[in-house]
Formats: sequence, structure tokens, C-alpha cells
Amino acid sequence: MNRKEKNLLALCSIAALTIAVAPAANAMHIMEGMLPPAYCIMWGVLCIPFIAAGFMKINKTLAENRKLVVILAMAGAYAFILSALKIPSVTGSCSHMTGTGLCAILFGPCVTAIIGTIVLLFQAILLAHGGLTTLGANIFSMAIAGPLLSWLIYKVLNKTGIPKYVNVFLAAALGDLFTYCVTSFELSLAYPAAEGGFAASMAEFLGIFAITQIPLAVIEGLITVVVIMGLESFAKSDLISLGFITKKEVSHE
Amino acid sequence: MNVFHRMHDQDHMHKHDHRPVHNHNHTHRRGHSHDSLSIDQMAFQSGLSHINPGFKVAFSVFALIFLLAADNLAISLLVFITMYYLTVIRGGVSGHSYLSLLAIPLLFAVVTVLTIALDFSLSPVGEYHLHLFFFYIYTSRTALWKAFCLFCKVFSAVSCMYFMSLSTPVNEIICVLQQCHLPSLITELMNMIYRFIFILLEVQQKMSVSARSRLGYIDTRTSLRTFGNIGSNLFIVSMKKAGHYYDALLARCYDGQLNFLTEEKPLNKKLVLCAVLYFVVLSMILITLKFL
Repeated sequence: MNRKEKNLLALCSIAALTIAVAPAANAMHIMEGMLPPAYCIMWGVLCIPFIAAGFMKINKTLAENRKLVVILAMAGAYAFILSALKIPSVTGSCSHMTGTGLCAILFGPCVTAIIGTIVLLFQAILLAHGGLTTLGANIFSMAIAGPLLSWLIYKVLNKTGIPKYVNVFLAAALGDLFTYCVTSFELSLAYPAAEGGFAASMAEFLGIFAITQIPLAVIEGLITVVVIMGLESFAKSDLISLGFITKKEVSHE
Repeated sequence: MNVFHRMHDQDHMHKHDHRPVHNHNHTHRRGHSHDSLSIDQMAFQSGLSHINPGFKVAFSVFALIFLLAADNLAISLLVFITMYYLTVIRGGVSGHSYLSLLAIPLLFAVVTVLTIALDFSLSPVGEYHLHLFFFYIYTSRTALWKAFCLFCKVFSAVSCMYFMSLSTPVNEIICVLQQCHLPSLITELMNMIYRFIFILLEVQQKMSVSARSRLGYIDTRTSLRTFGNIGSNLFIVSMKKAGHYYDALLARCYDGQLNFLTEEKPLNKKLVLCAVLYFVVLSMILITLKFL
């Protein structure tokens, strides 16, 4: 091969890799059977404290207001539908929202952990996204780590006084990206590269999927902003009862 | 006190209770038959639906654990063949729909397995490498073999999961979880979420049809906005419905406990014996392969 041919081959390989990766952009879920048993157990055990905290929180609020259980169930069904819908995507690939950022902003991370766990179980059973043995790992990345970051960003930036929509966008988009990072971390911990080990493998997973994941995170952020805008104009009373906006903010306008 | 069924009557939404009557000739668009939640429909029509649900769940979960712990190509293939036999030939799922369901994880499996098999490096290492600009993509025979085994293991594991989800409807799975003493708050939430999914799905489908008839998906920018608007509308509708359903529940003396009438499905001892024998044979095969 001469130099020109080599360059051509290199370009072709990169193009092929990019195109091959694009359709698998909903690579958020770790598939059934992907992780060795030790990792399945480890991630499952790591989730327990968060789920227990969520459980106690819900139980406590439920004692005061029984209606919450129906609202939470609706929110869970809503998150399921939102994540099952195909996002209109620029690349023509089929991709899905996580919806967890929105849930975390509206309901807080504890509740999101419980709802997310149930939604992930249903996604595995009804849609074959994710799996039973990898449920622990998926819960950790999608129902705990991502929403927790979204919620933290939202709370912290809320104090700094930047515009609310910018804040919502950042919280949802960064939460989405972080979910993906945690998924990469989980996969590369289980399958380190032969040369360079864990770090090389992590860089590789991140690099390959970043191509599709960054635009997706931006889309997720934009859609979340549109949803919040719609809610603010049509469902103010619901948002007040959820504690998303306070009465003071309403009277200001 | 079958509260929910009546609640659904109000909304003409109990279609998943009638599902076995429906014709089952819808075609699958590859990988995305979400609109109909086809897995759920097939579970209601399965030929294995008379078998005790606890047994089915236990069998598939045990097979999954065995498969992952064994980490052996022959075991993976054997389990896959068993699950294919049980789901397609005994369960009556058509081979075509089974294969199109397997195609959902196919692309993702290929990409992830390739990422595991191929590695990047600045120096030429490994048995096979490809020089690109300043780095190398390399792999070795063992890495490729390992990736192939992983690929088979993943598909076998997915077939175990499909055995469960294509033969056991979700409400029965929730009953099994209840028998495992999962807190009633969680099972109650699961029951409600499962029912609400179908209600919201219909609302969403109506919204997207009316958006499409108004050119809501004409270009990327518009379709993103439509998607977001449907998202917020759906949230508003769902919160409204939650209020209505809570009132309906209260009117029927809801006190934090939902009781469903479940069909008794006795455990067949012969089947348990077969399952035990199956796993004994599998472990014997595994031991012979490991030590010979």
C-alpha cells in the first residue's frame, strides 16, 4: 500500500465506525448478559442505600398525603412513555430520551431513584432495553447518578440567579452526559483493554460514543426546556404543589 | 374489590385485559414496535400461560445466573437453544417475531462487543493491527475469541429474559414479586405504573397523530418543538388523570391496598423435576468441559 491508499483506508475506517455507531445511540442501557456476576452484584448492592432512602422518603410523605402514590405512578408511566419515544434526530438514528433529568428537577433525586428503578424493570421486560442481571448497573447510572447530578446542578445554579431555562437546559444535558459517562465507567471496569487497562478502555468507550451522545444530550436539554416552558404556562398549580415554583415567584410576575 | 378494572371502564382503557381475543397479525417494524408494546401482547397469548408464573420467573432467572456464572460458549448455545424451543415451539410465538425481537439488541451488542475487542494504541501491538494516522487499532486472536463468546452469552441471556417476558404477563410478574415479600408500596406503584402506561400511550398516540396532521414533524426544528410540546401536554394530562383516578379510588374505599383477583395456577411437579434435571445435566456438561 502506498501512502495515498493508506490514508484512504484510514478515512474509510473512520467513516464506517461513525456510521456503525450512530444507530446504536440509545446505548445508555447495559444489555442483559453483558456484565460478569461479580459486577452485577456489586452495582446492585451500591444501589440499595439510595433506593432505601427514596423508599423511606416516599413512605413519610405518603403518610401525610395518600394522593402522592397516584401522582408518582403517573410520573413513572410518563417517564416510561417519554423514554420509549423516538426523538426526532438530526442523524436519522433512533435515539431515546432518558427523561430522568426532568423527573429529578420536578420530584427530587430520592423519588426518581424509586420511580427509575420500576421504569427500568419495565423497560427490560416490555421493551428489551437493558436487562434483569444488569438492572443494578443500569439503576446506578440512569436512576441514581444522572438524576442526582441534574438535581444538584439545578439547585446550585438556582441560587446563582442565572436564567431558569438556561439552568434547566444545563441540568438536563449534563445529567444525560453524566449518565453516559457512568455507563462507560461500568463497562470499562468490567472489560479493561489488554494494553493500558481500565483507563484506555474508558477513553475508548467515551470517545466512540461521545460522537452521538453529545448531540443527544443537547437535544435532551432542549426538549426538557420546552417541556418546562409548557408546564409553566399551562400547569402552574401543579408545579406549585410539586414545589417546583414557589407562590412568591408567581406573585412577582 | 377490583377497583382498577372499573376505573378503566370509565376510560374504555381495559384493552390489555381483553388482549387474548385480539388478532395477532401485526407486523414488526424492525426494532421499534413500541407503539403496540408487542412483548406485552405476546405474553398474554403465550401457550405457556397456564404454567405457574413463579416457576417461569424462577426458571429464567436461575438459567440467567447459571449462564453468567458458567461463562462457557457451549452452555450459552445450549441455553439459547432451550429458550428458543420453549418460547417459539412450546410458547407459540412466531419465529419471525422472535427474530425481530432479537434484532432490538443486535446492533447495540455488535457495537459494544467490537469496542471491547478492538483497542487503540500508539505503538503496533497485538496480532492484528491497522495503522491510522498516528495511532493503531489492534486486536488479538484471544480478544476476538473472547468477544465472540461474550456475544453468544449476551444473546443467550437475552433469550432467557424473553422466555420470561414472552410467557408471563407483567401483572403476574408483580404477583410473584409480592410473594417474594417486596414492600407493598413498591408493588402497588408497579401495578399502577403498568396500567397508566397504556392510558398515557393512547393519549400520546392521539396527540402525535393530530400534530402530524398539522405538519408538526415537517422538519427537524419543528419536530423537536412538537416533541417537547407533546411532552409537556402529556405531563399536564397525566397529572389531571392522576387526580381523577385518585377520586375514583377514594369513591371505592381505597385505603392504601389494591387487591386483585388472581387466577390460581398450580405448580406442576413434573415440570419442576424436568427443570432440576435440566440444570443437573447442564452442570455435568460444564464440569466435563472444564476438566477434560
